[in-house]
Amino acid sequence: MALVYELVWRMLHVLLHIHRTLVTSLRVLLRNWNGQTWRRAVAALLTPASLAGFPDSQKKLVLEISKRARGRCSRPSGCLVEKLPVHVGLLIVEEQPSYTDIANLVVWCMAVGISYVSVYDNHGVFRKNDTLLLEKIVRQQDLLGLEDSKYNVEFLSNGNTVHQDQIVSGQPVVKVLSPEDGKHSIVEAARRFCRTVEQKEKTSKDIDVPMFDALLRESKNIPDPELVMKFGPVDSTLGFLPWHIRLTEFVSLPSHVDVSYEDFLVALQRYSTCEQRQGK
Amino acid sequence: MSWIREGELNLIERLSANVLKAGPVPKHVAFIMDGNRRFARKKHVDRQEGHSQGFNKLAETLRWCLQLDIPEVTVYAFSIENFNRSREEVDGLMELAKLKFLRLLDERDKLEKHGVCIRVLGDLTLLPLDLQQLIAKAVVATRDHNRCFLNVCFAYTSRHEMANAVREMAWGVEQGLIKASDVSEALLSECLYSSNSPNPDLLIRTSGEVRLSDFLLWQTSHSCLVFQSVLWPEYSFWNLCDAVIQYQCNHASIMKARELHQDEQRRQQLEADHACVAELLHHHGNGKPADGPRRQEAVAEYGLRREARVKDFLEALRNKRDSFLTQLASQATVA
Repeated sequence: MALVYELVWRMLHVLLHIHRTLVTSLRVLLRNWNGQTWRRAVAALLTPASLAGFPDSQKKLVLEISKRARGRCSRPSGCLVEKLPVHVGLLIVEEQPSYTDIANLVVWCMAVGISYVSVYDNHGVFRKNDTLLLEKIVRQQDLLGLEDSKYNVEFLSNGNTVHQDQIVSGQPVVKVLSPEDGKHSIVEAARRFCRTVEQKEKTSKDIDVPMFDALLRESKNIPDPELVMKFGPVDSTLGFLPWHIRLTEFVSLPSHVDVSYEDFLVALQRYSTCEQRQGK
Repeated sequence: MSWIREGELNLIERLSANVLKAGPVPKHVAFIMDGNRRFARKKHVDRQEGHSQGFNKLAETLRWCLQLDIPEVTVYAFSIENFNRSREEVDGLMELAKLKFLRLLDERDKLEKHGVCIRVLGDLTLLPLDLQQLIAKAVVATRDHNRCFLNVCFAYTSRHEMANAVREMAWGVEQGLIKASDVSEALLSECLYSSNSPNPDLLIRTSGEVRLSDFLLWQTSHSCLVFQSVLWPEYSFWNLCDAVIQYQCNHASIMKARELHQDEQRRQQLEADHACVAELLHHHGNGKPADGPRRQEAVAEYGLRREARVKDFLEALRNKRDSFLTQLASQATVA
């Protein structure tokens, strides 16, 4: 009898796998067939090869969208996105990262007015290849024609920190994160506190949530992400900033490879329509 | 309504459960039971009724979990943030909790028969004293049961839990039981309210919200997260099966990620031990650098001593927590 159940179980999972593959292929097919003009107007902007000789009007389209998204339009209902997150986390749970697509996502975030973008994977691959990532980001920025100073990116990796006034001033920051920035940082902060207790500078009763929060941000001031876009088939945060994600909205996308600007905007739209009651 | 909903699955449900059990089944599932108030609005009943239905659904879900061989369940019943709700609603929830824990004490025999162990995770000192005492009595009464486990997060947020764990480790340092350098990821986990449980394999949030709302942030870092749009009081056996199937689809990749993380933890602990030994040799040695095998031996020895310290500290912590509950329980004025 157990063998029968196992057989049925295997069949169930094979069917699910087929279903998932079909859905993915259908999505790709539909996108390719659907908005040829829209696709060309937006997506082509983002692939280096086709940009050469591309009319300025397409670049203007993305810039126009980004201006509207930042709420500089006169009608509130005409704004593309009602509320914008300050910090967006790009969580890549796929095996093979595509640096060009990630660079696109980063550049789109900045174009739309998001001031802090982080990139994470649980193998620490982006941390190891941060120069490659930065190169790609700069390249995509140039291709989009965003060379003016307000798009100067503050690229942080390997423990560099950002100051509060940088976040407020709106200068975009890109931070590369790895599992070290998660539990490991929490443990380091705990160790630091225990050392002050060991040296009789503090007592155990001194620690509370605001104090520990401040301790954590002493060494790495990462703002809490309001939105995390997760790319890939794994339904887990895989160690991404456990302390910081208490109120983070998670939007899942099937893959970052060949991700389109539309997908990105849809994800942002989902964030802007959510209602946070904060316990009330 | 009772904590234990007696009843059996129908034929189709039983067959489906048997099929699912042919694959990996989560050993610990966490629920964010969201949607009671929206359910109440939808059915045009008052909020209290929504919460009450939510509790009934909890009892039913526990039975389903047992029938799927899921022995441990953690639920988010009341967040510290919920104290910000209207006085009326908070008082209502406290009254509901008192009724439920009183009922639980009435059903002690049933709980013993099914081997249910109830734990309450959170800062109990934030609750009214009579509720604290009832909770303590319920927890102490079911402490030794070990067939299945229900953890109720009450007056809980994950950040409070983590800060509290740091406080406990700092207490250990103050008492001279451990050193600051003994602080590690494993030790922090042991100081959380949930230290008696393995990390959840699966976290389910109902009502369509896609956030964790300060629930088990540390423990679910490598868990399967499933967000379902159904409102909690309308949760069905099939919703649970759907979540378990998603867990099964993610099982291999999550296990791989967990192993990677554990390898990294082991490496970091070894590195920390090496650093401590280097410092010790520097302070107490004769200035000559120790050779390879001698150093390895010293690190291994240091590791053993560290583990012994940590073991004593954790025992002291367990005793501290147990006596707090036992004392509270003895103050309860229920027969």
